Amino acid sequence: MILEILVIVGLVAPLLGVAIGRGRPRVRSFYSLLVAIFPLVTLATLYGQTIAIQYARLPFLEIDLSLRLTPLSWFFGIAISVIGFCALLYSSAYMKDRKRLDLFYFLFLLVNGGMLGVVLSGDLFTFYILWEIMSISTFMAISINGKAALAAGIKYILFSIIGSSAMLIAIVSLYVSFATVDIAALVAAMSGATVGYAIFILMMFSLAFGIKNAVVPFHTWLPDAYSESATPFSAVLSGMLTRLGVYGFLLAMYVLIGSGMLQRFNYHGISFSIVLAWLGAISIVVPTFIALLQHDAKKLLAWHGIGQGGYMLLGIALGSSLGVAGGIFHTLNHAIYIVLLFLVVGSVQYRTGGVTDLNRLGGLAKRMPITFIGGLLGISGLIGMPLTNGFVSKWLIYKALILDSHPFLALAALIGTWGTILSVFKFLHNVFLGQLPEEYKDVKEVPLTMQIPMLLFGALILLFGIFPGIPLRVVALIEMHFSIDPIGSTLFGVPKAVGELNMINIFAAVLVAGLAVYGVFSLARRSRRVTQYDNYAAGAPVPVGQYQHSVRFYDQADRIIRPYLRDRVDDFYGWISTQSTAFFEQLRKIYSGNVNTYALWIVILLGVFVAMNLLGWRP
Amino acid sequence: MTTWIRIVWIVVLPIIALLISIFFMGLSRKVIARVQRRYGPPLYQPVIDLVKLFTQHSNISHGMIFDMGLIIALAGSLVTLLFIPVAGIHPLSSSGDLLVLIYLMLISPIGMALSAGASGNPNASLGISRKLTLALGYEVPLLLVLLAVMTQSGTTSLLSFVQGQSMSIFSWGLFRLPLSAIAMLLILPVMLGIRPFDIVGAPQEIASGPQVEFGGKYLALASIEHGLHLFIVIALFVDLFLGGAANLGTFFLKMLGVFLIGVLIGAVYPRFKIDQALKYCWKWPTLFALSGLILVMIIGG
Repeated sequence: MILEILVIVGLVAPLLGVAIGRGRPRVRSFYSLLVAIFPLVTLATLYGQTIAIQYARLPFLEIDLSLRLTPLSWFFGIAISVIGFCALLYSSAYMKDRKRLDLFYFLFLLVNGGMLGVVLSGDLFTFYILWEIMSISTFMAISINGKAALAAGIKYILFSIIGSSAMLIAIVSLYVSFATVDIAALVAAMSGATVGYAIFILMMFSLAFGIKNAVVPFHTWLPDAYSESATPFSAVLSGMLTRLGVYGFLLAMYVLIGSGMLQRFNYHGISFSIVLAWLGAISIVVPTFIALLQHDAKKLLAWHGIGQGGYMLLGIALGSSLGVAGGIFHTLNHAIYIVLLFLVVGSVQYRTGGVTDLNRLGGLAKRMPITFIGGLLGISGLIGMPLTNGFVSKWLIYKALILDSHPFLALAALIGTWGTILSVFKFLHNVFLGQLPEEYKDVKEVPLTMQIPMLLFGALILLFGIFPGIPLRVVALIEMHFSIDPIGSTLFGVPKAVGELNMINIFAAVLVAGLAVYGVFSLARRSRRVTQYDNYAAGAPVPVGQYQHSVRFYDQADRIIRPYLRDRVDDFYGWISTQSTAFFEQLRKIYSGNVNTYALWIVILLGVFVAMNLLGWRP
Repeated sequence: MTTWIRIVWIVVLPIIALLISIFFMGLSRKVIARVQRRYGPPLYQPVIDLVKLFTQHSNISHGMIFDMGLIIALAGSLVTLLFIPVAGIHPLSSSGDLLVLIYLMLISPIGMALSAGASGNPNASLGISRKLTLALGYEVPLLLVLLAVMTQSGTTSLLSFVQGQSMSIFSWGLFRLPLSAIAMLLILPVMLGIRPFDIVGAPQEIASGPQVEFGGKYLALASIEHGLHLFIVIALFVDLFLGGAANLGTFFLKMLGVFLIGVLIGAVYPRFKIDQALKYCWKWPTLFALSGLILVMIIGG
């Protein structure tokens, strides 16, 4: 009953919101927060439970429709709810006085409800319907501002349709083969299927989820979609929506097919896992270094979205206890810090009048300290600095790769970290450090409703970084659900049998060392504060407000690596697009508008049929 | 080790490291001077400098981040130190392995970069950009080397790798992974930032780069951080390829040997440009490191 209510509220409440909130911005914000907090509270009370219910039966197809709550869906559901709630709270100030807000809130809530429904689906029919609701409302939410946003939205929906079609093929095929679409029933049925058939099903699902998770070479929709949508929506898009691709992979690989069957996919040493892992590795390296070349804050983060997706895939592809745990944990961690970083960008936009160009900002840490702290924690998580959540999940993935003897995959992941450091430090430096331009002299910190989500996610980064045992316990439940050995964990890290990691000791060491250094620092004489213009330039005066010192921050490296980093995949799709436009332009000439021409076509077609008949050729 | 001995070592190890690194800094000035037929300052010159800087009357700060960044940088180096086995002393190695170490080594450059960035000096920004670019350069071969080590030993624990070399001189990493050892030796000057790779703080070009706004106690702490960084990198090399050591004396001698090689090369070379340094790192050291890793993959761990 409770699951039905959750899904129904998720789908009906957005419509109701339009009726209630029209023209009353405060009521609308409050209502949407209420809608968003409902699944959060409900799911929190359902921790550790497994529920499965049938809510309807489709008479003409003879299939039962069901919803189910598993550890996996609980894990994703709670993340969706928290992120949805925080992004809406943030929007209440950020989106104020913008156009088409009724539509924005409607779509925002619908996307949230759709995502929640997807993870709670117990059969593939419900899954597909909700997946489509989610995708289409995402398309509309991306393109809400028209022009460039519309182009980005169309790119997104084109890819999405290709993915959904592949998924539909798989679902229909499963229905035809086993006369059921219920996931639990399919698990049993699939264990008797041939390897070839299982690979076919997995390939179709992989296409759908690979597109959603923006795995190279299906990534090209993502940078435009992220950078063109309204920033709080970009946060949801990057944090959770894209990561439903990971959910899908987990569902298809470890629930539907099962890890036992997965290991039988081996053709002369080339297994599905290895192919997927290499796709993940490529998705890490290339996009991360492309991110290095970006000078638009949102584009930079978007490319990291693709790169981080690669880490998740790399983890879950391996199939080992450590790897799968790392992949799932990384999905959560990524959601936390990337949402935080998008909110930070949003705050900067909010106060500077929408500037996301890294070459035009600087020095904002002095004016927006809370936002700066958010940015610092966010990039630390993204890099995977020790004591942040990203560190623990990356550590698990590296460890799994090395123990499985995949040093080259590990190399890709580690090199990706260095690309990340360079690009996100540029992000932090160019926005918050360096000299404050004169035009932003009077910028103020963002309002409290925008600070709270940032502080919350910042705190989560540290919490899960120092106490990784809290989320890892849920991850272990998920692994049990997959019948993989659950990862052992202590509150502060992993037990000795798994490896050497104890975050509380590292935390204590950093704390003590920091205090000791601070003690020594305070022993010396107090220092005098000077302005940003009071600095040394080897005797030459630096003109005030004339130069932006951080333009082309990594020029030297840039020049060497840029030629290798052209997004040829996007060029290829662009080429297909122009070619097919030309082709269809020609094809369109068939419709001349002249009845005589149409009659001619019909006569020609009939002539062909007659000729075929006469010659006795039957296709 | 019992908890009490461990706590004692946690306090003592940084002090030992500090003394050794200060000695190294003094020694390097003397050696370079003798190579260039100068007399050079006395060995204890760094101590004089540190005392003088630390007791200086006026200190200049560019704000909270400027202060905190430096403190984080030095604290980061101190913490990193505790995870490197030094002559059988390894107070915290059960809390973190080589992978943790790789990441702990990030704290201090990031802290330094924050501090330098907050100073608002264009030269400092240039310096950070060079520092990070250079790090990208040497990390590629370094990671290949570390992966070869981890793959060959089938563990990510640095301690067990060091202990595995204690049998005889031929069980040293140098002989088990010769190509990787050469690769790491080639990038050692880059990691240490000594000439010809002192690009980050090039005094004549960008006025000491990230350190340009540091004076007084700031410069004192930054020099200590630099010294500890020297110690960490060389100790890591000794641990990985020269078999660690049973006692502090041997460990010190091994470190001294490695350091002198670096200093002597630096004494006769002029400075590289940043793009030359990048190309250098991605050419020979990477080639050696890559072949080393492939060899490990073929022969098996």
